[in-house]
Amino acid sequence: MALGLIRPVVSRLGQSALVLLAMSFVVYGLMGLMPGDPIDLMIAGDPRLTAADALRLKALYGLDRPWIERWLGWLTQALQGEFGYSRLYALPVAAAMLPAIANTALLMVSALTLSLAIAIPLGLWAARKPGSAADILVNLLAFASVSVPVFWLGLMLIVLFSVSLGWLPAGGLNTIGGPDSLGDRLAHLALPVSTLALAGLGQFARHMRAAMIVESGRDYIRTARAKGCSPVRVLLRHQLRNALLPVVTIVALEIGGLFSGALVTETVFAWPGMGRLIYASVMGNDFNLALSGLLLATAMTLVGSVLADLAYWQLDPRVRGR
Amino acid sequence: MKAPLSLLAGAALLLLLTAATLAGPLLLPDPEAMDLAVRLGPPSADHLLGTDELGRDVLARLVQGGRVSLAVAALTATLAALFGTAIGLLAGYVGGRIDSALMRLTDGVMALPLLPLLIVLAAADPVRLGIPPDLAASEPVAVARLAIIVACVSWTGVARLVRGSTLSVRARDHVRAAEALGAGPMRVMVRHILPDVASPVVVAATLSVGHVILIESALSFLGLGLRPPLASWGNMLTGAMDVVWTAPAMAIWPGAAIFITVLAFNLLGEGLQRRLAPSLCRR
Amino acid sequence: MRRSLAILSLILSLAVPIAAPARESLTIGLSQYPVTLNPLIESMLAKTYVLAFVHRPITAYDPSWTLVCLLCETLPTLENGLARIETLPGGKKGIAVTYALKADARWGDGTPVSSADVAFTWTVGRHPRSGVSNSELFNRITRVEILDARRFTLHFDRVTFDYNAINDLRLLPAHIERPRFEAAPESYRTQTAYEQDSTNPGLYNGPYRIAGLERGSHILLVRNPHWSGPRPGFDRIQIRTIENSAAMEAHLLSGGVDMIAGELGLPLEQALALEKRQGSRFTFITRPGLVYEHLDVNLSSPILADRRVRRALLAALDRDGLTRQLFDGRQPVAATMVPQLDWVFAEDVPAAKYDPAAASALLDEAGWRSGPGGIRVNAQGDKLALELLTTAGNRSRELVAQVIQAQWRKVGIDLKLRTEPPRVMFGDTVSQRKFPHLAMFAWYSAPESVPRSTLHSTLIPTAANNWAGQNYPGYASPKMDALLDAIEIETDRPRRKALWRDLQRLYAEDLPALPLYFRADPFILPKGMSGLSPTGHQDPSPYWVEQWRWD
Repeated sequence: MALGLIRPVVSRLGQSALVLLAMSFVVYGLMGLMPGDPIDLMIAGDPRLTAADALRLKALYGLDRPWIERWLGWLTQALQGEFGYSRLYALPVAAAMLPAIANTALLMVSALTLSLAIAIPLGLWAARKPGSAADILVNLLAFASVSVPVFWLGLMLIVLFSVSLGWLPAGGLNTIGGPDSLGDRLAHLALPVSTLALAGLGQFARHMRAAMIVESGRDYIRTARAKGCSPVRVLLRHQLRNALLPVVTIVALEIGGLFSGALVTETVFAWPGMGRLIYASVMGNDFNLALSGLLLATAMTLVGSVLADLAYWQLDPRVRGR
Repeated sequence: MKAPLSLLAGAALLLLLTAATLAGPLLLPDPEAMDLAVRLGPPSADHLLGTDELGRDVLARLVQGGRVSLAVAALTATLAALFGTAIGLLAGYVGGRIDSALMRLTDGVMALPLLPLLIVLAAADPVRLGIPPDLAASEPVAVARLAIIVACVSWTGVARLVRGSTLSVRARDHVRAAEALGAGPMRVMVRHILPDVASPVVVAATLSVGHVILIESALSFLGLGLRPPLASWGNMLTGAMDVVWTAPAMAIWPGAAIFITVLAFNLLGEGLQRRLAPSLCRR
Repeated sequence: MRRSLAILSLILSLAVPIAAPARESLTIGLSQYPVTLNPLIESMLAKTYVLAFVHRPITAYDPSWTLVCLLCETLPTLENGLARIETLPGGKKGIAVTYALKADARWGDGTPVSSADVAFTWTVGRHPRSGVSNSELFNRITRVEILDARRFTLHFDRVTFDYNAINDLRLLPAHIERPRFEAAPESYRTQTAYEQDSTNPGLYNGPYRIAGLERGSHILLVRNPHWSGPRPGFDRIQIRTIENSAAMEAHLLSGGVDMIAGELGLPLEQALALEKRQGSRFTFITRPGLVYEHLDVNLSSPILADRRVRRALLAALDRDGLTRQLFDGRQPVAATMVPQLDWVFAEDVPAAKYDPAAASALLDEAGWRSGPGGIRVNAQGDKLALELLTTAGNRSRELVAQVIQAQWRKVGIDLKLRTEPPRVMFGDTVSQRKFPHLAMFAWYSAPESVPRSTLHSTLIPTAANNWAGQNYPGYASPKMDALLDAIEIETDRPRRKALWRDLQRLYAEDLPALPLYFRADPFILPKGMSGLSPTGHQDPSPYWVEQWRWD
């Protein structure tokens, strides 16, 4: 790769660091704005806890200091690579997050793959003849996919496949204590993955279709056809390659999602992923865990956008000239 | 689908929805009136879509919820479009350091994970920001609060769009001429550039309305959206999830209302896009 | 739309019973995941529930609300001589209570549960930086005297009637936890083996032990080979966390879980609807307990400071009708905060009757006359407008609040509803008495728990006392204070019962809070399972898991 690429990438990374810093400050401040801390809640739930208990616990968890002081403390530690303990799980932050990241990544990668596997052919099919019945059908499907509330879709799938037909489990990672077989895992993955894939395929199909239509009007396609290249070859070698660009960009931007998870879907299917972890940590005032989770997701989105640019650069020779 | 078709279909659907939400209160029973004797009742002459778990008329509540959901969505889309346009115009026209600072801000906000951030924002307490508790609990404030929260994270697309268009419009003759005649930067931006970049903004805003309705329902599902007794489609649907086994219709209606509205806005947006800003289709 | 509805109804009606679950294992659905497993750290129902299978306290209240020994041999009392009152150095009275641990009580690695564990647990509980949430009991104990490996005497600094209830003294295995604690007491809460090595069998002394867990998702329990009590009926118990109640029901219907815990399961109205449709597939048990749903009244509000208005509010509320129509009558209307199941319940303090006419008369008398638009006004022309605050996301409460609003409207009271997320409400609004008029929530307590923190005038939260106490109404009555002080130290049962009766009378007259009803938690079990008795109090049903059986 050209040396010219290094400078923009380095400067992008520098900016990303700034974004992360600002974000950690904002998140800390916003969490500080949430009323009541976990100790207050504990007392409300258990009348036997005394005021003395509350003061002791608050001091122990550092909740009696102003949030800006706590943020500075956190920052100093974080810069040394020390992200602290999760208050909720009493584990080092990394240990608390790792299984959730693995679960979320499994879910999101499968969903993305399935989504693309359906959306790309659909987009191609629709773009063959804009305005045809196939096109209208794909368009309607795409509109339906981007217009449906995810939790509603998820629950309807459970109603159908788990309860009425009894084919698939309604949620969870696997059968607890059962043999940890591939089939069991896949069965548990099926519904959440389908929910996410159905909700996501609309945008991919639409982008794919639009890009194919644009490309088909370009000169090089006509030239290639005129030269007598086979239509399939033109379609796959030239048109598809260029039309994939916008799709690749969106996929790269979704990388952050692998780490922030899909909260709503995870809740419906009792899937212990990053979405629920971040949600629980924000709600439980677990500053260390919430910040690390959110920052990781943001960092990965930023990395994703750098990757998107690189992919563009790789796939589209025209960008290299700039 | 041809442009006029989606435009017409979208506009017709929306007209119908708006007419229903406006005319509904005149024709339908009181959405708050409850009758515990007919909880989760089937459709009847009195209650066209049946009754909910407190014996209230589902249709009337649907209409009332629609008013709230549409208000939130429209307000959010407008706020996001205004904010995004202002940032985009400023960045594109002034350029230089301001441009690069504003665009870094945009990139930064774009990179933030949406839902977790909304959770943090929605969980923050307006009372701690000095808003009196009585006011903070009132209906218009609840609606505005949600709209502002969602707008805070959804203006970035418009900002980028407007900046891009501004960059190209800035070099055009009529802008140059206005500058030569001594028009101030504010006047140039508002009078000469804004009209040229307005169409894509309208398109983007229309498309985002549907998205906002979905976000509202997701937040309701997580218990962070608009809260009862204020009815919105999001919290009606969420409430219906608990009785989905007993009264599936309760989940069908708000689900369908959300679906149709989002669909209408998407159709309208796409239609407008082809009409007003065909160049956008080729992104 | 009509068609999709028809299809959906069809799908729902197709629901076929899934094959009966295997008998050697039981999967339980729970709506919350415990954040920690250490018995002393954090106070949370999900943890209490899960630990109940694997870890037993020395004493607990049984399903008939009697204090019993779980790990000890006999309950010490003043009558059997195991408890005796002693005079402390300063001249105050204290009490010395002697327990004997069961001879065959073992940790899951075979180590006997011993007096050394008691002494160690007390050390941890008293340590100011160990992170123990409830240190009250540990601070009351001034000394632990070890008599032998199984017998020990606790010396308390005061005499209370519940001197022998040491339910909160949940033992830690000294042979595992001592090195972890002594290395650094202030980081004990993260270094405890319950977090670092949760599947270590030596941490558990119940009929089961934790064999595996996936944080936020599920916990697997297997038999504890060293358990000496009756052999429990299942080889394995799986506890699955499902936070969303619609998804929870789906798991039950699809066979993903066999039973739903009543302690943390489905809302009652959802369970009732399920019972109507699937009553033949599952066993439903609802038992009202001591979870007291009520409206706290802010007595600092000039409107509500008038007792006649409070009485009118209660008389205008058809609580019987409400619980009959929304909850199928399963949640009994409360007269005071003492539930009918408690032995100190006073039969002759009746619940206020629904009487809108009397309510109107009381309001007229208090100066609130009918005004324009049907809303009452006082002499100054102020409207009778109140605000009711409740927790957001609790569907039952949201529904009840809307019913209350409609009922009060009929006697000319304009009620505004406001909901706040629990953390806002309990962390701030209620605990600092910022609610303008009324707040609906519930109190959990133990059997015969003295409502000192909610009714004593010294426990009204103020900025000056650092918001200590839960007397959110701001109720200050010398008579009540005297009763509370007297009950706590009265060890004679008949005399105590008389004091309790006076307390309930006073409460029903003064109405510092408007009683609604006692909550009933629905337990949903597979047909063919028996032996589970809901307790109705904070000690959960799995303390008696060894009685759960397939018929």
